[in-house]
Amino acid sequence: MAAPASEYKDRQFLAVIGDEDSVTGLLLAGVGHVTEPPDSQKNFLVVDGKTENSTIEAAFDNFTQNRKDIAILLINQHIAERIRYRVDAYSAAFPSLLEIPSKDHPYDPEKDSVLKRVRRLFGE
Amino acid sequence: MEGLFFNAQNGYIEGVVRGYRNALLTSQNYGNLTQCETIDDVKLQLGPAYGDFLASLPPNPSTSALANKTTEKLVAEFRYLQSNATGTLSKFMDYLTYGYMIDNVALLITGTLHERDTRELLERCHPLGWFETMPVLCVATNIEELYNSVLIETPLAPYFKGSLSHQDLDELNIEIIRNTLYKNYLEDFHWWVNNTPGIQGSPTADVMNEVLEFEADRRSINITLNSFGTELSKQDRRKLYPNFGRLHPEGTLMLSRAEDVEGVRIAVDGITEYKNFFDQTGMGQSGGGVGNMSGGAGGESKSLEDMFYQKEMEISKLAFTRQFTHAVVYAWIKLREQEIRNITWISECIAQNQKERIGNYISVF
Amino acid sequence: MSGQREAVFPTRQSLGMMKSKLKGAQTGHDLLKRKSEALTKRFREITRRIDEAKRKMGRVMQIASFALAEVTYAAGSDISYQIIESVKSARFRVRTRQENVSGVFLPQFESFQEEGSNDFGLTGLGKGGQQVQRCRETYARAVETLVELASLQTAFVILDEVIKVVNRRVNAIEHVIIPRTENTIKYINAELDEMDREEFYRLKKVSGKKERDAAAADAERAKESRRGSDKENEGQRTNDVLGEQNDEDVIF
Repeated sequence: MAAPASEYKDRQFLAVIGDEDSVTGLLLAGVGHVTEPPDSQKNFLVVDGKTENSTIEAAFDNFTQNRKDIAILLINQHIAERIRYRVDAYSAAFPSLLEIPSKDHPYDPEKDSVLKRVRRLFGE
Repeated sequence: MEGLFFNAQNGYIEGVVRGYRNALLTSQNYGNLTQCETIDDVKLQLGPAYGDFLASLPPNPSTSALANKTTEKLVAEFRYLQSNATGTLSKFMDYLTYGYMIDNVALLITGTLHERDTRELLERCHPLGWFETMPVLCVATNIEELYNSVLIETPLAPYFKGSLSHQDLDELNIEIIRNTLYKNYLEDFHWWVNNTPGIQGSPTADVMNEVLEFEADRRSINITLNSFGTELSKQDRRKLYPNFGRLHPEGTLMLSRAEDVEGVRIAVDGITEYKNFFDQTGMGQSGGGVGNMSGGAGGESKSLEDMFYQKEMEISKLAFTRQFTHAVVYAWIKLREQEIRNITWISECIAQNQKERIGNYISVF
Repeated sequence: MSGQREAVFPTRQSLGMMKSKLKGAQTGHDLLKRKSEALTKRFREITRRIDEAKRKMGRVMQIASFALAEVTYAAGSDISYQIIESVKSARFRVRTRQENVSGVFLPQFESFQEEGSNDFGLTGLGKGGQQVQRCRETYARAVETLVELASLQTAFVILDEVIKVVNRRVNAIEHVIIPRTENTIKYINAELDEMDREEFYRLKKVSGKKERDAAAADAERAKESRRGSDKENEGQRTNDVLGEQNDEDVIF
């Protein structure tokens, strides 16, 4: 059941979908990466009140399926909530999907996809 | 002499500003604010001071929304004063807005450099730094166009001229551009205060000299401290120091040679106040303590930035003891900005449940 | 299901094959069961750690966003846009290692700092730079926690998958393969027995018939011989008649 090495060896970046504060903070930590032009791609998406759900979904798909250099995708929980069905359906091991709290939305373990699975497994 | 006609021209505005000053939150108010459990409580406590401006906020607003609304009030009041100002006061208030303009222009330059849609950036600009030709900046699609046809039309043009070319905009870090502009702005303001008929030699010049010198010194010290460990060379760093201030010229010369916090401390040794700041923040302890080099921040106690803010507030407070001066407007804006920062800080502490540091605000009344 | 069996010819050879298959299935079942138990143990440990880590993350992220609030306080203006735009190259990266847990490779993310590139060294130069740097450190620590959590979570996802597969196999062996093989063996045995009985019966029948035939033949012979003695006389008479012809026929 070993995942083939090609699955993960090029994955060295973190991607972020979050509100402005979360993204700013994580970028400060140095996770941000913009690939070389001409098709420069960013590994983060800032979501505000005006961002369409379809944009979030597109970014989500891009980070999870198209890009092969992303190891971990961080997404704000309240944004994950907006595309919850996509997040719940996501089950691949790479990239790892992590729901993180944001400044204005404290972490709620009840909503986390993975923790939901944990609870389901133990029949709670 | 200057008091003779001051009230005829500017008396109304001075009166209004003094009224505004009395509406600033006092220690008592802050005491109440720190006791709040939720942002809604904070909102309630701010009711008398901010009234209508907070009315449109949803229940339990985010701290940034709260900050925006409080800033709105400051802007509205400033606009009112500005529209009533005449003569030198009007020019004086223009000068006050240039500082914000520099931030806005820096923001727009960043956007243009990265070929972003600069239109959405306009919303992010500080409203006090708004100038009429600003939306035009968005028309420019590349830096050369921006420089040649747009920036020279702005009030900031003199600050670009002579020190920054359009290649610089492309190559230099935006922070260096921002600080170069700011240096030119401070020098220009300083010159204006000391050379304009009706201002020079007046109480305005007295107060503003103190304020601007302090601001210049603060920037010099900050730039030096923050440049350690970055690619900013000593020569380039030196270019960012304003050419006046209490540290100028010996202090700034020493600052430009400083290689660590200790060097900065030695540079400011001549000025007792700054020396005290360093001593109080624990950065100045000589004898090579290990803590000296830990990035400059003074642990959980007050940081150097806090000390500077505190000093700025005290200067501003003292400005109100003078009569017949434009400086009260400046002082009021600074006090008001600090108040907004305090409110943001307190509500942030409440929202994030970090009550132990809630007392870090600065209150002078 | 009890009726299911494999499509084999009920021969002794296939019986032998089935028997060794059953034995193989039982050994495999035991091994897989043990593996599944080991994995589940690990799995439970990981889920417990995830639960802890997620809670820890809540706290860590809160401290980090508080640090960001400090920056906003000190810098006095909004620095987010500038930071978002000045990103060039990731300083904080992860590399992946594998850990072997009873035959399953679990990835482990390991964070490391790419040297020499600092996109934000000058941010807040004039104001708030110290806070920016402090905030950067706080967030870097927070992201390390996140990376740790991500490792756990990936391990969780993979283990979950593996355990499901293993359990499916265990169940398949236990509930399908073993009963089916047993059924087949039973069937072959039954068929073989049936064939044995048939054979026996057939043999019996054959031998019965043979006996009957033999008896009949005997009786015939006896009758024949009885009748023969009568006919002898007649024959002799005829022989006598055809005696000469008999003599001519000497073909041996």
